Amino acid sequence: MFILKNAWISIKRNKGRNILIGIIILIIACACTITLAIKNTAVDLINSYESAYDKEVTISFDRANMMKDFDSSGAEGRENARERFDNIESFSISDVNSFAESEYIESYYYTYSIGLNGSNIEKAEIESNNNMPNFGHGKENNMTTTDFTVTGYSSLDAMSEFINGTYTMNEITDNAWDIAFDGNYVFINEELASYNDLSLNDKIKLEDAAGKTYEFEIIGIFKENEDGTDEPMSMFSNSANTLVTNASAISNITENNSNLKATIEPTFIINSYDNVEKLQAEFYEKGLDENFILQTNEELALSGVASIQNINSFATTFLTLTLVIGGIVLLVINMINIRERKYEIGVLRTIGISKFKLTMQFVFELVIVAFVALILGAGIGAVSSKGISNSLLESEINNSNERYEEIDKNFGGAGMPNRGNKGEMRGKGMPVVQAYDSIDAVVDIKVLLELLGIGLSLVLISSIASMVSIERFSPLTILKERS
Amino acid sequence: MVDKKKSNDVRKKQIVNNKEEKEIKDVKEIKEKNNSSNNIILSIKNASYRYSDAEEDDYALKDVSFEFESGKIYAIRGRSGTGKTTLLSLISGLEKCTEGEIIFDGKSLKDMNLDKYRNSDIGIVFQSYNLLPFMTASENIILSMDANGLKIKNKKEKAIELMEKVGLKEVYANRKVLRLSGGEQQRVAIARSLSYNPKMIIADEPTGNLDKQTETEILDIFKKLAHEENKCVIIVTHSSNVCDTVDVVYDLKNVKEK
Repeated sequence: MFILKNAWISIKRNKGRNILIGIIILIIACACTITLAIKNTAVDLINSYESAYDKEVTISFDRANMMKDFDSSGAEGRENARERFDNIESFSISDVNSFAESEYIESYYYTYSIGLNGSNIEKAEIESNNNMPNFGHGKENNMTTTDFTVTGYSSLDAMSEFINGTYTMNEITDNAWDIAFDGNYVFINEELASYNDLSLNDKIKLEDAAGKTYEFEIIGIFKENEDGTDEPMSMFSNSANTLVTNASAISNITENNSNLKATIEPTFIINSYDNVEKLQAEFYEKGLDENFILQTNEELALSGVASIQNINSFATTFLTLTLVIGGIVLLVINMINIRERKYEIGVLRTIGISKFKLTMQFVFELVIVAFVALILGAGIGAVSSKGISNSLLESEINNSNERYEEIDKNFGGAGMPNRGNKGEMRGKGMPVVQAYDSIDAVVDIKVLLELLGIGLSLVLISSIASMVSIERFSPLTILKERS
Repeated sequence: MVDKKKSNDVRKKQIVNNKEEKEIKDVKEIKEKNNSSNNIILSIKNASYRYSDAEEDDYALKDVSFEFESGKIYAIRGRSGTGKTTLLSLISGLEKCTEGEIIFDGKSLKDMNLDKYRNSDIGIVFQSYNLLPFMTASENIILSMDANGLKIKNKKEKAIELMEKVGLKEVYANRKVLRLSGGEQQRVAIARSLSYNPKMIIADEPTGNLDKQTETEILDIFKKLAHEENKCVIIVTHSSNVCDTVDVVYDLKNVKEK
């Protein structure tokens, strides 16, 4: 108790120095409150935006790795490359199931596609009379040689085109969703239905290259919402000749036909983007060819909160700098303080006050000053954090927009050219529409606890000076020096 | 009303008489104790001290053996460099013997908590007083009581009582020590050293900064503490006046009993 009493007496005695320490801690506390409030709110916003997206991982072909040693000069080089390409081991459904048995994966789904020809229906296609050049946008697999692409989805989650609105269902049978994932049922494009005069519950027949036929019943007709087509001279949409069925139907077809080449596109929902590298290593261990890599949708998932992420990074840097500089300043002041109070330490040690109690007195002095400064700092920070954070965000968005307008001007100022897949150009650093245009950085209990933790850490760090000095000082030497 | 006052006066007289009787009894007991040869409170046995950065045979203090009894006042005399202050720092537990040992009240200092030893068993008085200048006289004394963990209701009252014991009036209690004279500061330092009633008082040149008259007054206080309160008082000094006053003089070169 007397330690506290002495600490209080000492604070009152050294008003000037303690006010200076208090002001420094007040500034640190104020800066920390604002940055912590911004940081926490930004992280919450990012997490909530991120959680709206599943954390998806897909398996992609690693072109960069393949092209690394690619020698296109001469027939031999091309032949080697072809051989190497042919030797790449694809993966099967059982491989996908095996990959999915990982602690990092929460769920998974896949699409399973094959190419079949029509038996009692015709491909939606009108051939041009003049010999228009082929722009080469056709698919690279064997499906281009067949009439139809039959895509089987493993579950509703896998039907991403319907989820993201690329396709919408026009007509559907009453029990369609009860039977859609078990048996030979298909959803067809309205263009194909119209072209072949098909309607719900009609049966269509498809055949493979060997002439074996497979019968499917139409349980739904969908339309594609996106304009444009891969075939520049085609009047039909991309999905006109796509038949949507379930993965088990495709499995049944491929099981009895080893010549039929199928494409599997699995999507794994993972628990954290941080685990992607570990997951990839696990996949390689389970037999995935090393020419495949894992790709995430992280960039897309976070594109809407890029500005908030920038502010978060800024807040983190600012917080670190404040703490480092503040910590050093406090340490130096405390060292000077201790040197000034050497005599006092000598006297107190001589009358039998232990090193521990003496250290505690110095710590308490700093804790009392820090506590008052932290409360004031938290108050000022709480009042100003909202305004400062919104001003920072506004400035960040303005900067992004200026960059965007500059690039837009380079393209003639008539709006961004939309080439290829959506977002392709935006991926080069241009902002997408921001999900948030304000950030209500609030000082909540979490911020206050963090602030308290920071304050205590600073006090302890700056108390190191007194701890070391009290341990090192010999009371007799101090008193002799004084005498 | 008058009767009540009379009865109060009688009671006061009785209390005074009882107190006087008790004091006489205490003095007798102390004198009896003084006569006992088994009254040794501190013994220094072949104590040597060498600074950590000194050469192997470069001792600040070499092979010193003294014994100190309760109820006596001692002087340790020696020329400069004979290790008087070193010996004092060893006795007060501020330094530890390199060789030999110091036994206080039957226990080796090596086995004792030296902070506790300094704030309970001994009181130290320095030539330059070593009071905290930002505190008042009474606050300095109370601080020492706090360091000891003394649990009494009114510490300030006790501090004033101690100050009066060493010849300082109550009015000085609330004065910052820098506003006191050298003699007054030394009295406060003595009062501080008595605040937890230690068995031994160690003083390093306590009158070194004082005039003759004040020196005599301070020495009287020490004599009283030794002879009336059975404390062992050890004074490290150059002063022949001090050596003439004490019961025993130990010379660091040539130890002799007076």
